[in-house]
Amino acid sequence: MDSESSPLSLSGLSGRAHRREFLKRIAVVAGSSSLLAELPWWSPLRAAPVGNSPADRVRLGIIGVGTRGTLHLAHLLRTPGVEVAALCDDYEPHLQAGLERVKGAKGFSDYRQMLEMPGLDGVVIATPLYLHARMCLDAFSAGKHVFCEKSLAYTIDECQAIADAYRGSRRVFQIGHQRLFSPSFLRAYEMVSNGEIGPVTQIRAYWHRNGDWRNPVPDPSLERRLNWRLYRAYSCGLMTELASHHMQVANWFLGMHPTSCVGFGSINFWKDGRELYDNVNVVYRYPNGTHVIYDSLISNRYYGCQIEIMGPKGTIEGETGRLFAENPPPAPGIVQLINGIEQGFFETVPVGGPSWVPDLKKDVRGRLLVAEKSSDDGTALSLAAFASAIRLGEPIAGMMEQACRSGVCVLMGQAAMEQQREIAWPEGFRE
Amino acid sequence: MKESPEPPSSLWANVFHRSCFAMNTRFSMVVVGIDAEKAEDLAISAERELCACEQLMSRFDPDSPVSELNRHAREKAVEPPQALWEILTLCRDYWKRTGGAFDITQWPLNCLWRSHLERCEEPAEEAIAEARQQTGMQYLDLDPIVHAVQFQRKGMSIDLGGFGKGFALERLANILRAQRVESAFLSFGESSITVLGSHPHGSNWPIGISNIFEPLQTVHTFHLQDASLSSSGTTPYNRMGRARLVGQIINPHTGCPIEGYRTLSVASHSAIEAEVLSTALLVTREEDRAALLSGFSAISAVEIVYHSQNGDFVPHFQWHYGL
Repeated sequence: MDSESSPLSLSGLSGRAHRREFLKRIAVVAGSSSLLAELPWWSPLRAAPVGNSPADRVRLGIIGVGTRGTLHLAHLLRTPGVEVAALCDDYEPHLQAGLERVKGAKGFSDYRQMLEMPGLDGVVIATPLYLHARMCLDAFSAGKHVFCEKSLAYTIDECQAIADAYRGSRRVFQIGHQRLFSPSFLRAYEMVSNGEIGPVTQIRAYWHRNGDWRNPVPDPSLERRLNWRLYRAYSCGLMTELASHHMQVANWFLGMHPTSCVGFGSINFWKDGRELYDNVNVVYRYPNGTHVIYDSLISNRYYGCQIEIMGPKGTIEGETGRLFAENPPPAPGIVQLINGIEQGFFETVPVGGPSWVPDLKKDVRGRLLVAEKSSDDGTALSLAAFASAIRLGEPIAGMMEQACRSGVCVLMGQAAMEQQREIAWPEGFRE
Repeated sequence: MKESPEPPSSLWANVFHRSCFAMNTRFSMVVVGIDAEKAEDLAISAERELCACEQLMSRFDPDSPVSELNRHAREKAVEPPQALWEILTLCRDYWKRTGGAFDITQWPLNCLWRSHLERCEEPAEEAIAEARQQTGMQYLDLDPIVHAVQFQRKGMSIDLGGFGKGFALERLANILRAQRVESAFLSFGESSITVLGSHPHGSNWPIGISNIFEPLQTVHTFHLQDASLSSSGTTPYNRMGRARLVGQIINPHTGCPIEGYRTLSVASHSAIEAEVLSTALLVTREEDRAALLSGFSAISAVEIVYHSQNGDFVPHFQWHYGL
């Protein structure tokens, strides 16, 4: 199990060294700024290091061990103080593959039976979108803490039901939006909060791939089950499975949810029987006049995946973690020249000399937001925070709001495209 | 008829500035006395022109015509775009007019010296001799009939770095003039400067040459009007905690970098000539410089050499012309 590859790139270290290094990295990131330290979801990570006593151990079960669930499993096996006690999947090959990785874990094909397992503290839900709500609600009813993959739920009513159930549960809830824990996005948030790009005037985000977005299907009867992302009965496709990440960042950075959205989508390339759009284009309107422009397609990968946060003083590229100043600062002599003209001085400015060349590529390619690009995109830290919050018995403030805002946004976008009309934020929605 | 009101006192405070990275350095543009919208359009035109110049002349862009020449002109005659052909013939003319002091084929020697100096070493005599075999405009064949280029020597490579900045400045100045800009300051990395008209509060643009050890101190002032200023020389270079000399300019006559800390600045009404001459004069012996300049008009130039005195480097006027 220790040979499991980890996005934290600590695979060469022993278990103890790994744990020590892991905690050290958390401390470094969490302690890097007072603003970040105030973000509520960082609070569990600042707790005392995990001890060896059984009371410190958090016992989790994973519901759904497909692609995403397997990745979470790999992280959890390396998260200090976590025991993966149970796995559940109604697709036998996935369940067996998962159980082979975790000695002693109990296997289930029905998640409701897993929820009855004694001693289980919480569950990680990594199943198709249409199952999220009932699983979250059942887990809260069973008194379990819940980590739910994005997007929150299949309908806005279901989002509301989860939020309501959470409010009365006193359980920990976390959503699989790992950018909340990405050092690079946290630094970007800090810079935006400090006004380094000025007020945010537009956010543009896109996720472009070139491929059919299908999983291999061993038998045609399994098509809908394994390729649920392509069918409307189970998912909202590109909006819920990709756009939700960037809509979470947009809502987080703007500190609000949109009032409405418009959009168009179609299937213009992958005409293979799928029901969900292969290209989506949505514009969200925010109360302060800011717009978020989102598009995604799977027939061209040139522009890749990016979120561009723009203001009068600069642009932040979130996914690559770079800041581009709107106007690179001129040489000191030129600043003096400009000031002199503005103030009516006629004076010699010391400006000429042998050529200036960029000190580093940063001058041309933008400034890196964090010096060392972490191999963890935030997923490992988000699971560590979940486990730590359970251990502390303290819900993570603000997390359900993040989940609801992005979850509702992407459903609004899907509705706007399907109904070809402007869709408003649901009145009376309680985050 | 009602008398028109007095112009506001802030008439000349209308200053537009834009900097961007281009041609491996920072380009800055200061335009005075035009409204912001027009200036913004002007900046877009300027950036487009810079991009076109860079695409034509960059040796770092593998798809540029210069890269194409550097890759293939040894094996076969290559026909570059007409614009590059004209630039190369112009460079050959300047090579002749400067007695071989301005030479765009010094890249192999530059690379040799740079790689050794970074290790605090000097290249061996044999290595210098070998690199010199790969340099020299006399080995650049320019076929005037079909406008084709061929390198006579293996390993040859052309570099239009400095020349390119002068070329781009002339193009940009023309764009600004066409838009009736009367007062502007353009700079590439502060080594290549062009001014249009004069400073809004004076009769010229007083441009100081910085002390390379004390950049905010002026060691000499050029008073420019519709003119260009180019500076070449060595700069103090700090790496691994040690200040060292990096020879940026190779003397084509010796195959070695120029020695000492020095800056040679040339003012001319042509940005290209300022560029050509600042490099050429730096590698030309003092006693030969006046003869070289006799073929050029309206040039002024100054050379500052920095002498070590009690642990400091003190600027000293080594040579000047036309002041």
